[in-house]
Parts: sequence; structure tokens; C-alpha cells
Amino acid sequence: MTDANPTQTAAQTDRATTTEALSIDATAQLCADVADNVGRVIVGHEAEIEHVVTALLARGHVLLDDVPGVGKTMLARSIAKSVDCTFRRVQFTPDLLPSDITGVNVFNQKDREFEFQPGPVFANIVLGDEINRAPPKTQSAMLEAMEEEQVTVDGTTRDLPQPFTVIATQNAIEPDRTYELPFAEVDRFMKKLSLGYPDPAEESEMLARTVGHHPIESLEPVTDIETLRRAREAVSQIAVKEPVRDYATRLAGYTRNHARLGVSPRGTIALLRAAQARAVLDGREYVIPDDLQYEAPVVMSHRIKTSSSSNSNSSSGSGSNENDRHRDGAAIVSDALERVPVE
Amino acid sequence: MSTKTGGRSRTIAVDSDTERGLSPKTFRLLALGGVGILTASYINVLQDVTAVVGGTQQLFTLVILMLAGATVLAHTISPKTATVLSVVAGALGFAYYLTATGVGVGVVFSSTDKLLSDTVALATGLSLLQMMEAGIWTLGFAPGPVFLSWYLVLRGRYTLSVIPGGIALLFLVLTGDATLLPTLLGTMGAIAAVGFGELERYRGTIMQADVLAILFAVMIVLSLSITLVPGGTSGPAFLVESDHDGTLEGSITSSPDRTTIAGDVDLSPEVRFTVHSEEESYWRTGIYDRFTGDGWVRTGQTEAYDGAIAPPPGETETVRQTVFAEGPLDVMPTAPHPVDIEGDIRENTELTMHGQFHPGEPLIEGDVYNVESAVVNASAEDLEEAGTDYPASVEERYLQRTEDTSSEFEARTAEITADADTPYETAVAIERHLRSSKGYSLNVTRPDGNVAEEFLLEMDEGYCVYFATSMTQMLRAEDVPARYVTGYTSGQQVDDNEWVVRGLNAHAWVEVYFPDHGWVAFEPTPGDTRDSVHNERLEDAREDEEDNIDTERSEDVPVSETETETADADALPFEETDGLGSDTDTEGNETSPIGGDGPAPEQMPDQYGPIDPRTGQGYDPNRSTFDETDFETDDESDETESETPLYAPENVALGIAVLIGLAAGAHRTGATRRVSREAQLQWHGFQRSPEADTERAYRRLELLLERRYRPRRPGESTRQYLDSLSQVGYSFDDRVREVGRLYERSTYGGGVSREEADEAVALVDAMAREELPLVGRFWR
Repeated sequence: MTDANPTQTAAQTDRATTTEALSIDATAQLCADVADNVGRVIVGHEAEIEHVVTALLARGHVLLDDVPGVGKTMLARSIAKSVDCTFRRVQFTPDLLPSDITGVNVFNQKDREFEFQPGPVFANIVLGDEINRAPPKTQSAMLEAMEEEQVTVDGTTRDLPQPFTVIATQNAIEPDRTYELPFAEVDRFMKKLSLGYPDPAEESEMLARTVGHHPIESLEPVTDIETLRRAREAVSQIAVKEPVRDYATRLAGYTRNHARLGVSPRGTIALLRAAQARAVLDGREYVIPDDLQYEAPVVMSHRIKTSSSSNSNSSSGSGSNENDRHRDGAAIVSDALERVPVE
Repeated sequence: MSTKTGGRSRTIAVDSDTERGLSPKTFRLLALGGVGILTASYINVLQDVTAVVGGTQQLFTLVILMLAGATVLAHTISPKTATVLSVVAGALGFAYYLTATGVGVGVVFSSTDKLLSDTVALATGLSLLQMMEAGIWTLGFAPGPVFLSWYLVLRGRYTLSVIPGGIALLFLVLTGDATLLPTLLGTMGAIAAVGFGELERYRGTIMQADVLAILFAVMIVLSLSITLVPGGTSGPAFLVESDHDGTLEGSITSSPDRTTIAGDVDLSPEVRFTVHSEEESYWRTGIYDRFTGDGWVRTGQTEAYDGAIAPPPGETETVRQTVFAEGPLDVMPTAPHPVDIEGDIRENTELTMHGQFHPGEPLIEGDVYNVESAVVNASAEDLEEAGTDYPASVEERYLQRTEDTSSEFEARTAEITADADTPYETAVAIERHLRSSKGYSLNVTRPDGNVAEEFLLEMDEGYCVYFATSMTQMLRAEDVPARYVTGYTSGQQVDDNEWVVRGLNAHAWVEVYFPDHGWVAFEPTPGDTRDSVHNERLEDAREDEEDNIDTERSEDVPVSETETETADADALPFEETDGLGSDTDTEGNETSPIGGDGPAPEQMPDQYGPIDPRTGQGYDPNRSTFDETDFETDDESDETESETPLYAPENVALGIAVLIGLAAGAHRTGATRRVSREAQLQWHGFQRSPEADTERAYRRLELLLERRYRPRRPGESTRQYLDSLSQVGYSFDDRVREVGRLYERSTYGGGVSREEADEAVALVDAMAREELPLVGRFWR
């Protein structure tokens, strides 16, 4: 994909015309295969695995937010290994520079000219580990890459490979050593997931598997990059009828009226895309409200800003009461799903 | 979702927290509306009065001023001040009108007792229209209650606000002016104001408003079906137009204070009374001066008779009559301008302000009285030269016209009387025009609106009431004082000096005032047709051997003869004048000049031209003859309803009220909801697009499951709902899942085919049938 057109829309159109969509059933089967494959490494967490797979198909990026050691990185690696594609990993640290991500122009002594050395972002799946440890300047280098699927270095814009998916992790502990992700950047992640500790039985099973050599080393790809592209095309063709769109709008509207900052239109788009992928998993060629309801908690919650999570300078009496009730975005989304009429 | 992102978490419609019911603001508006209706109801009654006597514009101006004032002052003055103000407003109302009419405010102080006594008389059933000063009284009456009630309601004192308006309306009910409809509306307005006011205070719900609706319906139904409201019986009773008051003879024999013009009427051949008289004459029983557009009202009150009355100013001839009542009689027929009465009956006699006797208690069969009348005796020349120097009292009272008189009516009248130079010529021209241009018929449809106008401009035929009414109003349009009189034609002459008068002799004619002579009768009704109609009726009655249609002396006299005689006799009445009125030509005079003189006959068409052989009064008699005929017609005609519309407005109103009441009751008990749900469940409706059909089928399925199980929650999707039901143990048949699947695909997916939609409908139909209480058992 060496599309010179810098706009995403044009790039998408180009892809749409050049890639033949996979059938619904084949796509669903693909998802199941990948999930099963990942399940060989990750014990439990079936729902989260599914979420990551659907994000992959829905052209979204995933943010894994949890304490260290619960398998965030392992999940990302398993996904990458299940697909026969390029995978790069970036460990974010406070001294990481933007060019460490995007790549630099290096002077080639032999050819007497500058040569672009692509950074780790040039891969189909990029794992950004502990992304909140880098300063905003470096984090912002990810912004363009994630949203526009292109990178600009020294005035030259280069397209990223397709598909391009960022799976980032961030540490919930040690807040004083991290930089909070800018709200705008968080908004660019389609889903924010949290793995959590495995239950005792699962943990025991996991231990059994990892004694000896780690299963990830023997993990084989179950699909290739071309099939993934066609699967993405299939997902993008899933029908979203007006009642579903209206329902998504109502959900977003509810959050906007019950939080300081509600779900943005970009969030609504992400919700519908995720729901499309969810419909494919179910073998359906159209989205139903249930898909939205299933995806809404992971797609919408991190896009809602409540006053408790930021300054409370403008909270009025009644407003603060209400915000106290909704301590975080997840609760607001839960309320929305309960109260907003489906039709 | 149209809410703003920046909004500080305000609840929006999506929250589904919106309570069913009306806001207090709505109730307040309804309460204001209630007081508005109450006010409008009595202002409407007052406006009926001013429409007749003038002053509608002033009335409305006053009301608007009061409303505006109350609105401005609502929150700036205390209730006590407002009460004082409203009294002041009433006083100002009087002062305004008194000043406007040039009477001056002083009259309030100089004749306070008169105002008070009038008011008391009103409260005991005297109609406003019978007041001499009805206009003044109306304008004085209106401002107080309007101001006070509006002031109070704006302050939220709903219950108190109803009191002034309610008193005003009650007073108008007592006078008999408020008819059933305004009374009903006003009462309902008052109840609405109080009811909705309370609902506002206690934050009522729509369910409680239901109770009010039921209450209203009950009120309407009861009041329209059971007549207890005074206005319903003593008043003009617009809702029950067929009332006896509307019949001509009814109005003549009972001589009520007001008479409503009827439509189609019948004739009664029963004998009413016998007269022994020196001269033939019309027998007058009632005089009316105020025209209301659909009837006539006699202003002023009656007083006990105490001594002889002054005769008309001009030359008069004294005529003595002895009247024998042949049955119950509510009136005292006399030849015009009675001046004295003798007999036992004298103690029982009352005198109207217009100079007509009335019995205090109705006469019974066998009662006899002797009357002396001064019949105006003036020639046509005398009347020609009478001039227009009318006394102020006559001009005030007998030139009244309704406010809605159209310019067309005036133009037409002016056209008809274009060649007339004197009031007498005017009268003759009008009389001749009516007699020649309009036919005689008892079968007429009573027109809506102003009867005089309609008859002159639109109708082709009518009976005496129409002729007399139109002529009176036309004369007044030409500034000639005139009045509408009722009574009987001469009747059947059975001997030289004896006449038998039947119900069918009832008649109405016109009297015109001539200075120095008094009231002279004119007969605008054509006589020939009338005679034949009335004689036919009498012959029929004789053939049928009806009771009380003949006296011993009259039964041998053939009808036709009678008719002829009658005709002759009629001639006399033409001349008649009110003795009481004080100034009129004596009958004799008038008769002779006319009869003998060429002029009179010339003026009149042949039909009425011929001189009355017997009376010898050619000119007038002719007219009279015709008149008599009319009288008879009128008599009977009254009784029949003119037209009974298939759907009378009151019946429609009643039906609507009943429906509203039933609807509110059904709503109250939840019956409507149940029925409509059952209907929705059982009946799919007409075929539409496959998608619409599928959706409708699914809605019915939801209704079904809701009844059997639980309703779907708003945030619950189709799939979740159906799944959760299956989890709770509801053994789902596949039909439910199938319908759900089809609905999902129809709504969110690629749609469904016609066959699939029909399948969904059929599945739901089957399930709904099984739900039917009885049928379901046998359906499968």
C-alpha cells in the first residue's frame, strides 16, 4: 500500500476498491480461529480476547489498562503471532523521543544521500508498552500514526502498513512517575480494556502451561495479512440501519447530559464500527442494538470525563450531586444502557 | 438528541422520567379559562340585551377596560382595595353611560329609588328587556363583577373569584334573561375555575382532571334533560323553542311580557269569547314596543287599574262592549283604546304602561265585563296633516330597533316609501307593499336572525306576525313611531251586535302614532288567502265535530258567511286606536272617512280596498278584513313548531357531552386502555409494507408477552427481552423466537419478504387467539 494520497478517506476508498471482502461466515471463523489460538497462551479472559480481535477487524486501537503482570503484553504478542504479520514493540520510557517511534533519516555514506530508517511504528501490529511513561511530546507522535495511519518525518509523509493496529498498555500504579495520557489521545483508542487477575483455577492452569517453555514460543499464525485485510473489508460492509444509528446517538446524548464531557462523535463512530465487528462474530450481516450494548462499556467509558476526574471549578450544587452519583464513565454508560430506550 | 454537550447535566426527555400528567401551569390556564367562560356567559346575556336596546359597543369597551385594569392591578393592590374599586367601577359604568346619553350623573342620586326598585323587580323574574332603562342598567351592572373576578383569579384566588361572577350570573338567571346554555356554560366555567384551581394548588394529575370531566358531563346531561334552572322555564327558552310561548295564540291569549316569533303554526277552532259591541272591531289584547330580532317585549310594569283612563287627544267615538269569556282567558280583549272597565272584574284588572288591560288572575268561563273604548275617529286627511311633532316619551320608546339592523333593510324601506311625504303616506306605502308583495302562509320556516329583515328581504310568504313585525320595524326605520299589537280579529258575526271569536281569530297588526290623534291601526296582512285558510280549518273542525268550536248561536251560521262577515268586521279594526295611548283617531272617524272617501280605497289594492258594508268604514275596514284572517291564522299557527331540525343543536350538544363523560369515565377506570390494547393485540389492521407488518406483528407479540409476563424495559433490546423471558421459565415456543428474529432483520437488517411478513403476522395471530379468554380454548 503505497498510496500517496495523504488523506485517510481517500486511502480507505482505495482499499475498498482493491480488496475483495471476505464472506461473513469466513470472517467469523477467522475471528474464532485467532481467539482460539490466543487462548492457548492466555488462560481465561475470553471476552477481552474477543474485544481485541474485533478491534483489529474494526480498524481500531486498544488500550490495556491494568496493574503489571496480568498478561497485557502477552495478550498483544499472542494476537500478533496469530496473524502472519509484522509486529514491533516499543517500550515507552520518560526519555523516549518522538523519532524513536517514527524513525529518522540517516545519511548513507555509501550512496551519499539520506535514507529513511523506519521506526517501530512501521508494523502491522505495534505494542506500545507502558505508554503513559513517555512525556506528552513523545505520546503525541503516536497521535498522527493512530488516527491517520501515516507518519511525517522531516516534512515527508509516509503511509503506515495496512492493517495497522496499536495495542498499548498503561500502568495503573505509580501515578507520580507517569504522564496522564492526553484526553485527545485516549479518545483515539477504540477500546480501553482491563484484564484483571485470573481466578484461582485459571491461574493454576496458566502456571501448568508455562512451566517448561512458554507456549507463546510455539504459537503458529492461523491467518495471513491478506486475509485480515479482506476480513476488515467485510466488517466495514456490515449494514447499520437508521434505528441503530439513532440509538447510538441517543446513548451519546445521554452521556453528554450526565457528565462534564460526554462521548464525542468520534466515539459514536467507534461504537458503530466495533458493533459491526461484533455482528460479524455473530454471523450477522447487520448490526442490532445488542451489539451496541455489548460494545458500549469498553468503547464509551474512557471517553467520558466526569468532574471528579478533573478540576471541579465549575460544578454547581445540583451538578456536583449528580456527578457524585456517577463517579466514573463506566457507571454513566451503565445508566445510559439501562435508561435510554432502545427504540 | 438535541441537548447540548455543555449543559450542566439537565434531565432530558430520554430519561423517561417525565411524569404523566399536567403541569400546574396548565391547570392554572384552565382555571383562568373557567373564569373567562363564566365572565363570557353573563356578558353574553347582557350583550343580548344591548343588542336590542343599544350600547353593545360601550358594553364591550367597558368589559375590556375592566379586564385590562384588573390585569394591571392584579399584583399591585390589595383585595380590599380591589373590592372598593369594583364598586367604584360599577358606579363609573353608570356615570359613563348617563353622561354619554346626556342624562347626567345626577340622575343616580335623584332617582336612586327607581334604580333600586327596578333591581328588585328584576330579581323576581322581570326580564331585563322589560326595563325601561335596560341599557343603563346593563352598563352599570357589568363592570363590577368583571373587574373583581378577573382580579381575584389573577391573584390565584380561584374560589373567591367565582363568587362575583357567580352572583352576576345567578341574578341574570333570576331575571330569566340567562337562558339554559349560558347558564350551563357559566356554571361549568365556575366549577372548572374552582376545580382546576384546586388541582393546581395540590399538584393534581390528569386522573383527577378526569373526575372534573365526568362531573361536567353529568351536569350537562342533567340540566338538559331535567329542567330545573329557572331560566329554562321562565325565560325565552331558546333550547326548547317549541314552547307554548312561541305560538301566536299562546302569546295573545296569555299576553306574556314577551312573545317569540314562531315558524310553522296551526289553527285552533275553539271558541274563546263572545263580544256584544256597538261596533265591529279588532279585539286588542297586547301591545309590544321592544323588538329583539326574534320576538317582541313589552317594557315597563303593570299596575293595578284605578279609574278611568284619558282618551286619545283627538276626536274619538265611544264604543261599549260586553265580553263573555267562553273558556279560560288570560287576556282582556277590548276594542282599541279602552278607557274604562266595569263589572266585578274591575278589582282584578291591571293596566300596562301602554294602555292595555290585563286580568290579574286569568278569567274563567262565564266571566263578563263591560268595557268602554275610545275609538280614534280621524280621516285620512287628518292623519296626513298630523305632522311629526312626536312627544319625547313616544320617540324614546317606539322608535327602538335592534343594533343589527342592516343598511340593506333601511335602503329597501326607503325605496318603498320614496314617494311618501308624510308619516301617514309612509305607513300606507309600507302597508300596501307588504300586502301586495308577500303571500300568506302558515307554513313558514322561521328564519335565523332578524325576523323583520328576513321577511322583507328574503321571504315570500308569512303570516300576520311576520307582516306586522316587518311593518313596525320599517316604520321605525323611517322614524315613524310604531308598535306591534296582538289580539283577535272581529270573529264570526252571529247577530247585529254579537261576534263569536275563536282561537283561529288570533292576529297581530300594527299601530302607528299620529300627533294629536294617537295610535291608529294598520293592517299589513293580505286578507283573502288568510280567510280561506281559516275557514277551511273551521269547516274541517265542524266536520270532525271537535269540541268547543261553536256557541249556541254560531253553530248554525255557515262558515263562508262567517267569513264574509268577518271580512267586513275587519275593516273596523284598521282604524282602531289605543284609547289608553291617549291620542288616536276614533275608530268611527277613521272608518267613515276611509270608507266613504275615495282616497283610502285608492291607496289600497282592491283586496283590502272595499268598504266594510256593515261598519260603513270603507277604507280601514277593508284592511281589517284581511287582518282578521291573519289573526285567525296566527292563533293556531303558534302551536306547531316551525321546523324541527333532524339534529337539533341541543341534542347534538347533549350527545357530545354524554360521549365526553363516558370517555372520561372509561379513561378513569382504565377501560379505554384495556379495550384499545385488546384491539391492538387481536387485530392486525390493514396490510402495509412487509416491514411495517412485521413491526406491527412484533408489537402485538410484545403486548401479548407483556400481559402474560412483563413489559419490555426501555433499555432492553428485543433479543434481551425475549432471552430474559425464556430464562425465567417461560417456555418459549419457537414462534416467539421466529417473530423476534424476523422483526430484528426487518428493522435492522436487509428487510423481510412479503411471505416472511405474512408468516410473522400469522404466528402472532395464532398466539393472540390462544390468549382470548373463551375463544382461545376452542380455537386450536
